[in-house]
Amino acid sequence: MSPRTGIFAKLTPPSAINPNDFTRLISNCISFASTRTQEYLVFKDPEGKLQPSPLALTQVTHRSVNLDFTDTFNCTAMTPEQRILLGADWVWAILEKPTKNPKIQIAVQVLHLPEREESRNKNVYQRMVEFCTSIGKDCYALFLFFGKRDDKENIYGVLSNNFAAAFGKCDKIDRALLENFFKGLATKPCLFCQQLSSVKLP
Amino acid sequence: MDLYGKMAATQDVKGKGEGGDQNFDYMFKLLIIGNSSVGKTSFLFRYADDAFTSAFVSTVGIDFKVKTVYKNDKRIKLQIWDTAGQERYRTITTAYYRGAMGFILMYDITNEESFGAVQDWSTQIKTYSWDNAQVVLAGNKCDMEEERVVSVDSGRLLAEQLGFEFFETSAKDNINVKQTFERLVDLICDKMSESLDTDPAVTTGAPTAKLTDSAPPLQQPGCNC
Repeated sequence: MSPRTGIFAKLTPPSAINPNDFTRLISNCISFASTRTQEYLVFKDPEGKLQPSPLALTQVTHRSVNLDFTDTFNCTAMTPEQRILLGADWVWAILEKPTKNPKIQIAVQVLHLPEREESRNKNVYQRMVEFCTSIGKDCYALFLFFGKRDDKENIYGVLSNNFAAAFGKCDKIDRALLENFFKGLATKPCLFCQQLSSVKLP
Repeated sequence: MDLYGKMAATQDVKGKGEGGDQNFDYMFKLLIIGNSSVGKTSFLFRYADDAFTSAFVSTVGIDFKVKTVYKNDKRIKLQIWDTAGQERYRTITTAYYRGAMGFILMYDITNEESFGAVQDWSTQIKTYSWDNAQVVLAGNKCDMEEERVVSVDSGRLLAEQLGFEFFETSAKDNINVKQTFERLVDLICDKMSESLDTDPAVTTGAPTAKLTDSAPPLQQPGCNC
């Protein structure tokens, strides 16, 4: 198994690749995808004609994370119906050999700035937490913020496989509650990449 | 009042008077279940979009499509739930069994394990669904005759034992896909009419015409390939 094509090839020289170091592989890829998405976040068309929609921004990220390890890692984009039902925009999975069953999953939901956000069901945060909880501890929920009110040009993320417990006593999960996780943290783009690296991968 | 009649009547009243996509006479909730990779999603794609791709993408959790069919001048909206076959999604998929009026229980004729699991899936239906839910057993991928490991007779016999209707199907070659759904709809309509006959009270707000007035003849269950 060796990475051959795709954006990963541009990130790390082949000699530096440890095929078992999925954490690094995935984090590198996500980092790259975040940078690419960031370019769109800060881009301003002088003529005001190009304004990427929230959906387009979401697709930039998940399509950029395209590792050439189809037997060990995959990314599944949710259909519009699944986005409503499960709350996720896409799901990353590390697969078990030889069954190709997911061993670890990360369900990702993108939160855009309120002024860009398309109308979305208020329970969408709750739904993703419930979805991940229904699978178990090997399914993580990642809420990805494409800009915060006080920092519109960076991407933040909060990742956990235990949101249900964290929000156990709350009536509802909302954006403000999720943003609480960033309080006291210095502005740090791509925070979720660092959190991801703490996930114990096979 | 029989639960089946109650559900059908309630859904009918809900559907009436609403515009656009909500304009239907009946709504049937159907589920497709079975082991992973037997072809559930491809089967639904073939039926709803008349499309097929051999690329395999394992379904995450659950998904659905809606298709409206006509039967005796009545619009029947089918809400078809495509469930993930993998064990890890069992909690979320079984939550959708409740209220389902029909199931397509699918196995892969080239995969013995998927056939062996039919009994377990049948138990799941009995556990999480309700007694009157109708079930069609579908042996999919019948275009792959050379790789067949489950005979037509084995499939038919198991269906008889479980009290299910049976078809061999191919999403790829579009064999018996429409027929499977049509037969399931017919079975649900038959059951619904039985309920209405048993208890006329449930006809309140429901159409007077029976949906079974001119039910089509049974289709040949075998795969004609």
